[in-house]
Amino acid sequence: MNYLFLAYSVTWALIAGYVLFLGKRQKALQKEIKQLEEWNSEE
Amino acid sequence: MKTILMDAFTIAGKDLRSELKTKQTIGMMLVFAALVILIFSFAFDPTNNMVKAVIPGLIWIITIFSGILGLNRSFVSELENNCLIGLRSAPIDPSSIYIGKVIANFVLVSLVQVVSIPVLFLLFGYRFTSSYLWFILIVLAGTFGFIIVGTFLAALAANAKNSEMLLPVLLLPLISPLMIAGVQATNIVLENTEIQSAISWLQLMAAYDLLFLAACFLLFEFIMEGS
Amino acid sequence: MEQRSNLIDRALLYVLIPAVFVLFYLIFIWSPVEKIMGVTQKIFYIHVGTAWVAFLAFFVVGFYSVMTLIKPKLNRFIYAGVSAEIGVLFTTITLITGMTWGRASWNTWWSWEPRLVTTLVLWFIYVAFLFIRKMDGSWERIAKLSSVFGIIGCLNVPIVFMAIRWWKTKLHPIVFGEGKNQTGGGIEPEMLVTLLFSVFTITLLYVFLMRKGAEIERMRTIVKRSKNKIMNKLAS
Repeated sequence: MNYLFLAYSVTWALIAGYVLFLGKRQKALQKEIKQLEEWNSEE
Repeated sequence: MKTILMDAFTIAGKDLRSELKTKQTIGMMLVFAALVILIFSFAFDPTNNMVKAVIPGLIWIITIFSGILGLNRSFVSELENNCLIGLRSAPIDPSSIYIGKVIANFVLVSLVQVVSIPVLFLLFGYRFTSSYLWFILIVLAGTFGFIIVGTFLAALAANAKNSEMLLPVLLLPLISPLMIAGVQATNIVLENTEIQSAISWLQLMAAYDLLFLAACFLLFEFIMEGS
Repeated sequence: MEQRSNLIDRALLYVLIPAVFVLFYLIFIWSPVEKIMGVTQKIFYIHVGTAWVAFLAFFVVGFYSVMTLIKPKLNRFIYAGVSAEIGVLFTTITLITGMTWGRASWNTWWSWEPRLVTTLVLWFIYVAFLFIRKMDGSWERIAKLSSVFGIIGCLNVPIVFMAIRWWKTKLHPIVFGEGKNQTGGGIEPEMLVTLLFSVFTITLLYVFLMRKGAEIERMRTIVKRSKNKIMNKLAS
């Protein structure tokens, strides 16, 4: 029973971690794009 | 095909001649192989009965680790003075560069083996009683496969800044089947047991060698034009 | 075009979330408890699903590698890389669930069993592939180098499997089919349905992650491009 719990929690923790990681990356990139666009329009 | 081979021999000759002049790489490889034997004698007590069990693995560990040292040099040394660009712009088929490098590296690693394997037997007090022919065939087949994949990946890794770190990471997973086959076959031959199963391992190694030789031969030009 | 791709993403998400809940229901409540193994057998559903996706991702990498060599395109390059990244994730999950399974049923965390070791080698090849992609240089160059490695790696996996199988069985041939890793012999229909649904859901998850990852990679190239633009502007 413990093993079952262990396997499932690790699995979903990893998947959730990856999704969060992707989201973070996307946010950072979005910010960067915005910033760059501003600079581009300024000059 | 014939011109590719002729060009390959020219390139191999060039590499080996320049190696003969400095004797740097081969010297390092030999010393390194000896050091690996020394370290392993600390790890596994050579006076013990365990010797028989570790010798087949040790042969391959020496080959791989000292081989990686040599492989690292084979393309990185061409980067100095932009020699690689010179090679690429020469009117030869890119595959002949690959074959040439394979031949040169194979000769180097075989030389290291010729010295280090007898030294290994000597230092670990191992009496060789098996068939020379099969032993040599197995070692040659394994080493050849290792060099085929290793030279290819050395060319690939030479594009990176940290190529000497990248090469082992790329190479070791790819040669794992070869190592399993090599260690098992060597084990069987050294124990003088059923030669028949050693032959099937040898067949596996031969198939691996041929498959990867063909694949690397065809794919090599992508690496060359990619850099 | 962007609108449509957004729509697909949203639709995928709306199918995916209920599917995961249904999967949990199927695994924990609906499917019967195996007699010998007990509840631990339920690891099996997710293990097979992730293992399937891990190998699928690997073949996708191989496929896009070949395609990139035939004609380099940014999209192909991106898909190969994203697939490898997701592959690492699912291979890790497969290894961990496999290990807990082994611990529960054979009382050891690791056994040198062909499938387990092949998966481990696969993991290393994926990681090596990602290392190549982290090299600096133009994407065209990296695309070529990583594709070449992807193809060689793909060739290697079946040989690894063969070699380890021979090694462990001392050359006694085994017939394809149910090994000791599976529930053995007959599988109950409820279990089969759960298993198939699990494979389906996890494949869906893979597709979703693939699309997300590709989107992010595309954004990254946009950032790179506009950065270059600004650099040029500042320089002139």
